[in-house]
Amino acid sequence: MIKLTKSELSHYNGTDNNPGYIAYNGKIYNITDSFLWKKGKHQVLHTAGEDLTEALKEAPHGEDLLDRVPVIGELIE
Amino acid sequence: MARVAKEMVEKAGVNVNQLVELLVKNASAELTTFYYYTILRVNLIGLEGEGIKEIAEVARIEDRNHFEALVPRIYELGGKLPDCMKEFHDISACPPANLPKDPKDIKGILKVLVEAERCAVRGYTQICNMTAGKDHRTYDLALAILNEEIEHESWFSEFLGEGPSGHFMRRGETSPFVSKFLK
Ligand code: HEM
Ligand SMILES: [Fe+2]
Ligand SMILES: [Fe+2]
Repeated sequence: MIKLTKSELSHYNGTDNNPGYIAYNGKIYNITDSFLWKKGKHQVLHTAGEDLTEALKEAPHGEDLLDRVPVIGELIE
Repeated sequence: MARVAKEMVEKAGVNVNQLVELLVKNASAELTTFYYYTILRVNLIGLEGEGIKEIAEVARIEDRNHFEALVPRIYELGGKLPDCMKEFHDISACPPANLPKDPKDIKGILKVLVEAERCAVRGYTQICNMTAGKDHRTYDLALAILNEEIEHESWFSEFLGEGPSGHFMRRGETSPFVSKFLK
């Protein structure tokens, strides 16, 4: 399990061969291999490398879909 | 491009570039699903499969209709389809609806079908949310498609044993909601 701050997380945005990570509720998920997160973009509106806890509230799905991608760490202060 | 039509949508506060990109991704989901459903449908055979074949066929044809109905709106708003079909496949708003490894696994096929419909229901709900009260024509179209996706979801979910859908199989023409966009 890795620990990343918000600013370290921003490096993992899924572009330029960087892996893509997202944070949700303190956990970090690796979305690099997800068909729906190609190049770190999800449904046009969301970008990897960010804490998307608030954004999920507006999404047409709940946190259960996060189970489809691996947890790899936690977000720290 | 329908210049004034696009201008009205922008003026209402919709990010037209984002909206068009989403429409293209959902158009891709429709056409690719039409393709994958063809493979699923031909494998819906035997005592278990035969009963599901017909709704899979209707869902397949209606997804093709959804693709056809989306294309004019994409161009009206100044968008376009990618030149390369491989690229188009890979930007789909929904993952590929692949045939399960064991093609005789009818329950597995049903799960692929219901997941594809659920993805579509989510996608059109999003487009409706973005356009409601702002982009009337895209909203009308997305809502018409959403109505059909919800029916598709409920048909397959019923077969998976998730409880009664309250729906009946289509009678008569396909795409009762989207057909007005196909004339
Ligand atoms: C407007 C916002 C969003 C839209 C329209 C959207 C739409 C979707 C759709 C249609 C799916 C496929 C669902 C299915 O197969 O039934 C999906 C999957 C997923 N979404 Fe979102 N989503 C949004 C926001 C978010 C946010 C904010 C997160 C992260 C916190 C997120 C994380 C995921 C994950 C991890 C998956 C599963 C990916 C996979 O299966 O590989 N989504 N989303
Ligand atoms: Fe569809
Ligand atoms: Fe459908």
